[in-house]
Amino acid sequence: MSRRLPFHEGVAVLILAVVLSPALWLLQMSFRHNADILTPRLIFAPTLENYTSLWTGQFPDSFVNSLLASSTSTAFSMVLGVPAAYALARWRFRGERHIALWILATRMAPPIAFTIPFFLAFTWAGLMDTVLGLAIIYVTFNLALVIWSMRGFFAAVPRSLEEAAWIDGCGVWSAFVRITLPLSAPGLAATGILCFILSWNDFFYALILTRTRAMTAPVAIVNFMQYAGWEWGKIAAAGVLVMLPVLVFTFFVRSYLVSGLMAGGVKE
Amino acid sequence: MATIATRGWAAEQRRSFRLGLLPALLVLAVVTLGPALYLVVTSLTPLTPVNPDTAFDFSDPLGNYKSILTTDEFWASVWVQIELSVVTVVTQLAAGLGLALLLDRPSRFLEALRTGFLVPMVLPPIVVAIIWKILYTPDISPLHHLLAWLGMPIHSLITNASTAIWAIAAADTWEWFPFTMLMLLAALQMVPKEPQEAARIDGANAIQLFWHVRLPYIRPTLVVCVLFRLIDSIKAFPLIYVLTDGGPGGATQVTNYYAFEQTFSFSYWGYGSAVATLMVLGVFVLSVVVNRLGGEAIDE
Repeated sequence: MSRRLPFHEGVAVLILAVVLSPALWLLQMSFRHNADILTPRLIFAPTLENYTSLWTGQFPDSFVNSLLASSTSTAFSMVLGVPAAYALARWRFRGERHIALWILATRMAPPIAFTIPFFLAFTWAGLMDTVLGLAIIYVTFNLALVIWSMRGFFAAVPRSLEEAAWIDGCGVWSAFVRITLPLSAPGLAATGILCFILSWNDFFYALILTRTRAMTAPVAIVNFMQYAGWEWGKIAAAGVLVMLPVLVFTFFVRSYLVSGLMAGGVKE
Repeated sequence: MATIATRGWAAEQRRSFRLGLLPALLVLAVVTLGPALYLVVTSLTPLTPVNPDTAFDFSDPLGNYKSILTTDEFWASVWVQIELSVVTVVTQLAAGLGLALLLDRPSRFLEALRTGFLVPMVLPPIVVAIIWKILYTPDISPLHHLLAWLGMPIHSLITNASTAIWAIAAADTWEWFPFTMLMLLAALQMVPKEPQEAARIDGANAIQLFWHVRLPYIRPTLVVCVLFRLIDSIKAFPLIYVLTDGGPGGATQVTNYYAFEQTFSFSYWGYGSAVATLMVLGVFVLSVVVNRLGGEAIDE
């Protein structure tokens, strides 16, 4: 047994190295001088000039826009979605299946279908190129995610605990706030983080619904590619900065990742 | 006395639940059903922002749909979509299953490695696109440098109409195999141990064990994986936008990209809406299938 294991582990390490190498290549590229990027040499004198030139340009603004749009949308979706998820977890009623299908369909719908109406509505309402507008459109996928994922976490909390609180004279929502919510804290954190990651990763909506003021970091990177004459070092550094928060957060939610991404594909 | 109190309590509960559910459903309706209806309405008009009057021109409501059906570029995009979807779903399933089988062992070390394999899936899609743009740009690509050094130099894969779709498929496979891997790993861990032990004692080899014992258990998950990846592959955008821009010569222009170009590059809003409406219909049909099969996967 112990003789066989190292073989599988060795193969797994090898495959992982191959899988991660493209991302690691981006990382090392971000520390190269532009002159060093065109040579295939593996040894080079590292520099932070790509990062410092990003810092002095427009990039920090777009980074802040990404942060604001993602966190605002996450907050919106949690405030609306958490009570709804609880109601769905505890309340059996007709039409529940239809709501489930609706939420799943929202998760599945191609973004282009939302973009066209939102573009027209935002132009009319003055929400084009605003962080608030982006936060609103991210609710289309975040709210469905919150309802579905939190519903699962609430269903796992034993009803008897709430019933005890009800007997003590708590109302439905005060029992929820005092008993169920604290017990679901890990689920709340994981769901919030997933919402944040999904919004942060968005490129399509931000590309179409922002111009300059509310431009997010992913769109800013693409602009470097088009206008900055292929400054690869700068592009790589911006890519590293955009992926960093996601990698850190993912580490915390890794065990919830699949259920979150599935969001409604499998009924409990 | 007790029953009356309970009945009052049950009504109170229902009222509270309705109160909790209503705001979310209202907002969800406004941000999803509203746009969906609006989309269908614009798809019945020749809307273009150049001429605002077109927004209310319902003289030929099915005009866009008729012209879609007779446009070769649309059908070409559907074909590219089918090609890309089928190839990537197959490769992601193969790679995901292979790795899941490799990692499905009681080992702390392998469990720790698992997180590493998730990286491609959680990276922002635009970063994935940059990573592959670098790999596919001959001047700076370690891949091209390595092949040249080995004496097998190749031309750029993304500027060649016959290889561009494969280059996109490779990048897409890299990005999404962790999803199938993770799902199948979870399914493999649910396979009961007794039948596996029994088969092993009866002298089954690894392949027989997989085919006759494990596969029947993970089949429902395989089906759900296929449908999920199939539906998500319809939305592929950043990779195509950054790597090929739908080219060369439409070789990588999937239907989603076609709708995007028609709407936002050429301003055919009504026509683009009609293409998007057809896409939503397709995705909806697939969703209903997922919901059915997903339920069966759990019931079994």
